[in-house]
Amino acid sequence: MHLPHSTLKQEFVKKWIMGLQRCKFSNNNMSIFERKKAIKLSADTAMASARKGLTCWSRALISNPDRPVPTTTRRASLACKKIVKRSRRIRRTAKCGAARKRQITRSIAQCLVRKRTQILKSLIPGGEFMNEVCLIEETLDYITSLRVQVDVMRSLASASVRASEPHN
Amino acid sequence: MSSRRSSSRQSTGSVSRISDDQIIALVSKLRHLLPEIRDNRSDKVSASKVLQETCNYIRSLHKEVEDLSDRLSQLLATIDADSAEAAIIRSLLM
Repeated sequence: MHLPHSTLKQEFVKKWIMGLQRCKFSNNNMSIFERKKAIKLSADTAMASARKGLTCWSRALISNPDRPVPTTTRRASLACKKIVKRSRRIRRTAKCGAARKRQITRSIAQCLVRKRTQILKSLIPGGEFMNEVCLIEETLDYITSLRVQVDVMRSLASASVRASEPHN
Repeated sequence: MSSRRSSSRQSTGSVSRISDDQIIALVSKLRHLLPEIRDNRSDKVSASKVLQETCNYIRSLHKEVEDLSDRLSQLLATIDADSAEAAIIRSLLM
């Protein structure tokens, strides 16, 4: 299921160019902001469709591309910080025996993992519907696809800069 | 839509049959992808640290996509959607 970087890149470029052509940039009534949204939308759709429906995140992204940035992450990351502070405070207490301390540390670690899994679920498209094993596999795939997307967009940006430079 | 629902129901049912070793293998693959943890030579990276670094990495990739979209919207301001220009871009990218 994991494709090599170059294959994924070619699929993404093909689909993205198709998407960009449909956007009709020659329509000069588009503002910079609208153009940016169109570019991002076509890039996200191309990234998702390059996976050809094989992953959950790609299907979720295609069906809901304008996902708002999750606000629960801030609350969850503040909760994580509180948990870490609490664990430091407990470790410093001399009153607990070693066994009790181990037990507390273990439950705090489990709490941290639970909170951070929640944050990760909010970051992956369609993550809230996945169990933990599925989530990890989808995360791996999502990260590789994001890297391809960033790679191609960066190349296009530097190629456009080179193309627009006046030739001597 | 129904196939997605039934496949998720299937995977929830089979989670008890997934061994700890498989979970450890998946987490180690995740570690290899993350730049910070890969450079860190220690073997004992906790699951919560891996999750935290993953979330930070995904957020930074999202931010980079946003910034690149901004840049491209300014750079591509004058490009026409006709096939000649698209072919040039394609050859520059490959």
